[in-house]
Amino acid sequence: MTHMKYKHSFTFLSVMIAAWVLGTFAFIQFSLQPIVNNLQQLLTYLSVIIVVWVAGTFALIYFWPRLMLYGIKRVLTQRGGDANSSSGVPINTLYAVPNRASPLATSKILTTGTDDVLYVFGWLDLSKGPQVLHVPDFSGRYYSVQFTDSSDGAAFAYVGTRTTGTQAGDYLIRGLGWKGQMPSGMTQISSPNNSVLVIGRVLVESDNDLSTAYGLAKQIQLTPLSHWQPGQ
Amino acid sequence: MFKRMYAILFRRTIVADVVQAIIVGGLLAFFTANRIMGLRLFSSMPRSGFSGIIQDFFIGLALVFITLNLILDDEAKAHQTTTNGWNTIRQCNQPGNGILMRAACAKYLPMANVLQEAAYWTTTVDSTGRALSGRHNYVLHFPAGQLPPNNAFWSVTLTDVRNYMVPNPADRYSIGEGSGLLPNADGSVDIHIQHTSPAGHESNWLPAPSDDFKLWLRVYLPGAAILDGKYNVPPVVEVKG
Repeated sequence: MTHMKYKHSFTFLSVMIAAWVLGTFAFIQFSLQPIVNNLQQLLTYLSVIIVVWVAGTFALIYFWPRLMLYGIKRVLTQRGGDANSSSGVPINTLYAVPNRASPLATSKILTTGTDDVLYVFGWLDLSKGPQVLHVPDFSGRYYSVQFTDSSDGAAFAYVGTRTTGTQAGDYLIRGLGWKGQMPSGMTQISSPNNSVLVIGRVLVESDNDLSTAYGLAKQIQLTPLSHWQPGQ
Repeated sequence: MFKRMYAILFRRTIVADVVQAIIVGGLLAFFTANRIMGLRLFSSMPRSGFSGIIQDFFIGLALVFITLNLILDDEAKAHQTTTNGWNTIRQCNQPGNGILMRAACAKYLPMANVLQEAAYWTTTVDSTGRALSGRHNYVLHFPAGQLPPNNAFWSVTLTDVRNYMVPNPADRYSIGEGSGLLPNADGSVDIHIQHTSPAGHESNWLPAPSDDFKLWLRVYLPGAAILDGKYNVPPVVEVKG
């Protein structure tokens, strides 16, 4: 029993159903009220509950990552990226949060963020064409840009110290169904979805390093491929 | 007394499952019996027709949320490993995860990095399994050469049990690689986690609130021993006296 994977779900649901059935009989048995409804109405009652219960559970589990990420998108695009911002971050732009996480500057996006890094947030809509991500030269400093699929929450690609190194670069992020010409010499990232959450993290060594780190974080930028020119 | 009541109502133990299930099952039995008989005391509650169906719909929705929480809790627990009181889930947000795993990660580690980028551990208990609290003093002791292996940095962050940072006079919310930690003579490193500043160990102090708290260990670009699952985070040990 202790090694069973779904032991709490199993225990709770089986006891609940038993208490439901036995409780119903007990209420009827010990009450002196006459039975006023017929069996058909009882079946309607039970079938509505059971259909909503079963279908709702399957649907919510399946759509949970999507719902969570659309909540994030709403906050980001309508209320902004950090505690003090008053306007939203437009689609296909990146916002660098100027200060580190602290009790006074809790991110609206990540309450559990760390104060070791500065965060960059943005939401991509690739349905109108690819975007070009530009990153500056980080000269060995740790950073990452994480791309999250809005349909399942998977971090499907990274640009940064681990995957591409810390030198400056341009990366093409391509959505579904784009058939255009790719500029030569540019690394390409194929997104499994046209809606993508972007989270950047730039290491801050100390308070003295904050302005340098912020200066670099602000240079992580997006440009639509249609407006992009090499060497820009 | 209240702690026990709280544990029975809100912690996920088998006893709590049974107690909560009987309460919820009893409520459902009451609604069902009321439908069948029309208990006079509750005659204003809908028993049939459209408003009855609306009521059924909301009962169904309540069951959805209960079931969803149970299943996702179980799923997260099944993928969580606990060593020395530190919990970690290694598979989150990887492409190709199953539907249940995706949902559990969206609930517990939304938008977190994949393991190759960063490893995360959390704990709310000391080495004896008692809840971490600012009423006690603790030491997190890393033996010489056993700081978390990494190619970027590591840090320990302190939050309250609701995951919010807590103001403190030192204005320090995490401690780690870049914090100027002073090693002991034998090369080991002690992090002092307590409410008041530890005399002589200020540089290794992670300030705690006066009540319960939670610790987060983050290791960015974790080394091979973490990726292989061989690295164990040392326990948080209470210092008596």
